[in-house]
Amino acid sequence: MTHISQMLDRELKKGSAELLILSLVEARPRHGYEISKLIESRSDGVVRFNVASLYPLLYRLEQRGWIKGRWVEEAGQRRRRFYRLTADGKKVLAAQRNTWREFVEAINRITGMEHA
Amino acid sequence: MPDWKREVKNRLSGLQLDPVRESEIVEELTQHLEDRYEESLRGGATEVEARRAALRELEGDGLLTQSLRQIESATSREPKTSASHGRVNVFSDLWQDLRYGARVLLKNRAFTIVAVIALALGIGANSAIFSVVNTVLLRPLPYKDPERIVSVDEDNSRHGFPHDTPAPANYIDWRDQNKVFDQMAAIADLSMNLTGAGEPERLDGRRVSASLFPLLGVEPQLGRWFSPEEDQAGANHSIILSHALWQRRFGGDARIVGKKITMNGYDFEVVGVMPASFQFPTREDQFWIPIAFSQREAARRRSHFLEVYARLKDGVTLEQARAEMTTIAARLAQQYPEENTDLGAGVVPLQEQLVGNIKPALLVLLGAVGFVLLVACANVANLLLARAAVRQKEIATRVALGASRLRLIRQFLTESLLLAMIGGVFGLLLSVWGVRLLKAFIPENISQAASITVDVKVLAFTLLVSLLTGLVFGLAPATQATKFNLNETLKEGGRDSASGSRGSRIRAALVIAEVALSLVLLVGAGLLVNSFLHLRGVDPGFHTDHLLTMNVVLPAQKYADQAHRSAFYDDLLRRVEALPGVKSAAVASQIPLIRQGDSNGIAFEGRPDPAPGQENIVATRIVSPRYFQTMGIQLLRGRPFGEQDRADAPAAVVVSESMARRYYPGEDPLGKRISFGKPQSPDDWMTIVGIVNDVRQYNLDAEPKPQIYLTYQQAGFFAPRHLIIATSVEPRGLGSAVRGAVWEIDKDQPVSDISTMEDVLSESIARQRFSMILLAVFAAVGLILAAVGLYGVMSYSVAQRRHEIGIRMALGAQASDVLRMVVGQGLKLVFVGVAIGLIASLALTRVMASLLFGVSATDPTTFAVISLVLVSAGVLACFVPARRATKVDPMIALRYE
Repeated sequence: MTHISQMLDRELKKGSAELLILSLVEARPRHGYEISKLIESRSDGVVRFNVASLYPLLYRLEQRGWIKGRWVEEAGQRRRRFYRLTADGKKVLAAQRNTWREFVEAINRITGMEHA
Repeated sequence: MPDWKREVKNRLSGLQLDPVRESEIVEELTQHLEDRYEESLRGGATEVEARRAALRELEGDGLLTQSLRQIESATSREPKTSASHGRVNVFSDLWQDLRYGARVLLKNRAFTIVAVIALALGIGANSAIFSVVNTVLLRPLPYKDPERIVSVDEDNSRHGFPHDTPAPANYIDWRDQNKVFDQMAAIADLSMNLTGAGEPERLDGRRVSASLFPLLGVEPQLGRWFSPEEDQAGANHSIILSHALWQRRFGGDARIVGKKITMNGYDFEVVGVMPASFQFPTREDQFWIPIAFSQREAARRRSHFLEVYARLKDGVTLEQARAEMTTIAARLAQQYPEENTDLGAGVVPLQEQLVGNIKPALLVLLGAVGFVLLVACANVANLLLARAAVRQKEIATRVALGASRLRLIRQFLTESLLLAMIGGVFGLLLSVWGVRLLKAFIPENISQAASITVDVKVLAFTLLVSLLTGLVFGLAPATQATKFNLNETLKEGGRDSASGSRGSRIRAALVIAEVALSLVLLVGAGLLVNSFLHLRGVDPGFHTDHLLTMNVVLPAQKYADQAHRSAFYDDLLRRVEALPGVKSAAVASQIPLIRQGDSNGIAFEGRPDPAPGQENIVATRIVSPRYFQTMGIQLLRGRPFGEQDRADAPAAVVVSESMARRYYPGEDPLGKRISFGKPQSPDDWMTIVGIVNDVRQYNLDAEPKPQIYLTYQQAGFFAPRHLIIATSVEPRGLGSAVRGAVWEIDKDQPVSDISTMEDVLSESIARQRFSMILLAVFAAVGLILAAVGLYGVMSYSVAQRRHEIGIRMALGAQASDVLRMVVGQGLKLVFVGVAIGLIASLALTRVMASLLFGVSATDPTTFAVISLVLVSAGVLACFVPARRATKVDPMIALRYE
């Protein structure tokens, strides 16, 4: 990527990263690898999170109490750490969704892009 | 499968994470990489490609470590409880507790200030009184082996003098005959006029045996002691000066030893100067000369005026000394039946003799301050309990985080001890200031009074008291606060146990204890006040207002014969009475309330001589004719002295009414004759010409003793020393005018001790006043503390019961009902406290009985009044919270959980 697009990439990722992760664990608890794969697949490869960017974020969200991690051992498998959304996390997710939607609508109005 | 674990670990090694956390992170990241690797393989990649894909996940590992470092250090900043880490480091825990405690105290400034004030008062008062006790009772006297020094006196219980001053002949026999003392020494009072070096000045000093200073083991600062050769009649022209006198009158002249000074017209050679710190037994002595008994004086067995001290031989006990002296006294009684019948000898340790009569007062005061401290402790304990109730959530959280109960108790105790230490520091400051104040008021004749200080022992005592105090008031709240139901507390609106029945019972008990202790203190103070008022109200038998007194003592050498002396007094009285503002003037050998002494045995005409040991001892006063008029002493019958009572006229004597009652019951004493001792000639008879009312000659609280008066023209002994002036203006203003009148006659005649009669009276009851004021102050402090404690408890109770009060008011209760309910609740506590206090007082005030005058230790009026005072204070203390309770808005209260 060019320098500018790298910057944009970083900034956009920063702003939306929390929203992404919270929304992905909303439906059911997921482990770290699953989350990163989902992000990659649902965005058609546009957004990628590797270890260095994903796990620190997960730990930070856990520290804030928005998600909660739990070691789960399923029969015949190694134990994995699953993350689920907490009650506080639900509230934050709803707020961030609103913010994001308003932001996007505003940008659209300014730049004259029609809603697809 | 490549070793992904090692890959991850390598990248995280620089982080120095907690081992548990690190292994978790490593495990999770390793998983991720393995999943990525396997998925790549499943997607058809080669091992190399799959490996590369997985490694791509670790790109930006600098960012990874940096982010992890930030996050993990944020986690570790949270407070670790000992349960989660199992550290057993006592000092770091203690330091943590102290810092935490300090933070808590700072956050609740109002509470901390109130608690510190209460503690400072309690601890400070204790330290101040202990300083006095330490110096006066505990500190060894500043002599060599002071516990071996004793005072020896005559036991004249028969005449009401169990500790009489010995006579010279007896002293000499004791000294020569005993085998239990290393040395014996005698002391006699002496005042002399210093002349020839500036203004004539009257100095108070002592005649002492040469053996006194060796007995005490004190070295002079300059020069030497008296030698035995100097202690002989005729050879006694040596003098030793006190440090103060040496500095003041002789400018601290380093070559004073060997110089001559003039006292009473005689030349004395200075042989030594005593150190500044020396005092024996009291601090007023300004000089010492050898006692040097003349032959005549040494033979006197009837004049009792010495103080005798001795040092026990090594190995001799007090009992042995007492037994020996009793034997010697019995022997003398047999040898000299006329003078010594029934005269015993007593031996008392010096320490006891010096402080004996103040010991009870000091011990009472020590007990009193102990009570004050207990009240303060109860107060602070209550405050802490109330605070603990508020801190329930904090406590619960810490328990949930793993703190053990012991740990919490330790935390609370540390806070209490911290509080107590702070209170102790302020208390110490308070006591230093308090000691300074005390010294200004302590009666002068208490030995060592000048050297009362706050010394190391007092500091140690204060520290100990502070620690104990902290434990005492800290333990209850600590154990109480940490005993509770975790679930209940964490639930919203759960009732905390500190406000539950057990907590409030403890607080109620504390308040009751405070009230009881305060009552005891107040009763004690009340009794002393009552006693002092009685004392003050005693009619001394003479006027005390508008009377000026001073000492004018004629030196024996200059005024050797009676005619010369009489001429002086005649002249003096004439001049003084001519001064403006003077109503009348008089002289007397002794004025009331100054000191003991001046008694003589008398014989009655027509009555058989009294048996030895049965002499009639009466107080004897030599006065000028207008003495009664000047002093305001009433003539009851007969006539006062007048012009006709000249030197060549028949001797006339005036007697006091108790003398008349005692020795002439049912008879008229007027016209009867008495004499001093057995009359040697017809001229020795004196005729009773008048009777005057009794005068309290020695103490206000002692019964007046029989007393007789003679005029100075007719009496050859006991020369007058006091000049008394009755004024129509403010007495003190005439001081210099009167002195001027004296110096007109004799410019070298010193005039000293100018004071008003009111001051003399006041000084005579200084000790009682002192005790009273001190105890009253302590009682007031105790009362305030108890009232504050009660107020605190009631406030808290009202706050806790808002819900209930709201319901009551919503159901129609009036403000007055609520008031009555709250005040009633408080008064219940007060009444119980008063009841307990009364019982305790009845038991304890017996200790004070020796300090009381005109009031019994169980005086019902005092008890009743004090109880009323305390109950009123209680009502007042409950009133404010009660009123606050009536202002409760029922709607708000009902909503309050």
